[in-house]
Amino acid sequence: MASALFDHVRAPAPPVAMKIVVAGGFAVGKTTFIGSISEIEPLRTEAEMTVESLGVDRSGQVGKSGTTVAMDFGRITLGTDMVLYMFGTPGQDRFWFLWDELVRGAVGGVVLVDTRRVAECFAAVDYFEALGIPFVVAANMFDGVATHHPRAVREALAVPANVPIVLCDARRKTHVQETLVLLVESALRRAQKAAV
Amino acid sequence: MGPSEHREGGRHPRLVRPYVLTRGRTHVPGPLMALEAGVRRVGETNAFPVGAPPESRRIVDLCESPMSLAEVAARMFLPIGVVRVLVGDLVGAGVVAVDDPHLVEHATDVQLLERLLDGIRAL
Repeated sequence: MASALFDHVRAPAPPVAMKIVVAGGFAVGKTTFIGSISEIEPLRTEAEMTVESLGVDRSGQVGKSGTTVAMDFGRITLGTDMVLYMFGTPGQDRFWFLWDELVRGAVGGVVLVDTRRVAECFAAVDYFEALGIPFVVAANMFDGVATHHPRAVREALAVPANVPIVLCDARRKTHVQETLVLLVESALRRAQKAAV
Repeated sequence: MGPSEHREGGRHPRLVRPYVLTRGRTHVPGPLMALEAGVRRVGETNAFPVGAPPESRRIVDLCESPMSLAEVAARMFLPIGVVRVLVGDLVGAGVVAVDDPHLVEHATDVQLLERLLDGIRAL
């Protein structure tokens, strides 16, 4: 019974961690989306851009240090032993290299779309499709108004029928919640199929 | 000095370049710690690494209850890369432990996805 000796110092098991990534163009409402459901104010963290990952930057300089990219994230505790992290991707395409780290181990992704600037989310859709991880498209209803039918968004994005598309006001918790439910349902179906 | 002009938010510029805290090191030996890895204080040791900056002590204080690496970085206003090095030193000194979050395995686990779904629905 050697283990009993250590019972008093053994830390409780850490909560099970899960992750969802929120992607989309610049200023499309990713941080608002995360903040609507996160139990903490979305936090901003920074990662250093390195020469190896970016090569030569736009100004043609090599080895410039100190350039950082920011990403926002939130956290939700579910029950007693599960924590969901939600990470927003850096808004600009030139920071794609960071996505690999952000997306590794994610249950899936939410692609937020501003229907007035649909093309800005193409890169995010392409990325999730290429990686083969589940994602949903959420058309952000700015001013709470649906300006486009989901079918029109689907046509504009040319996403397959198995990718859910939802209208979403990123400021409203119930909308964000419903979007996450659709995503996790989609991920669950895929995992069930793979387990058979 | 171009980089800071792109920085979003109203944070004041740093007075010290961040990797001064790590004495220029950008990596520590061992596997890369995930953003979601839980950092927690272990034991009662006060064996701080030689030359550890005051920031290391603040990390230990923050991690009295476990906190993700990303959250530690955000609360310290330090880049992830710097915090990875400082935490790596603290692990080496036995002051904190880092729990691998096993996210890749969790992401396709049917039972965990069901629990996640139930949890989100119940919010």
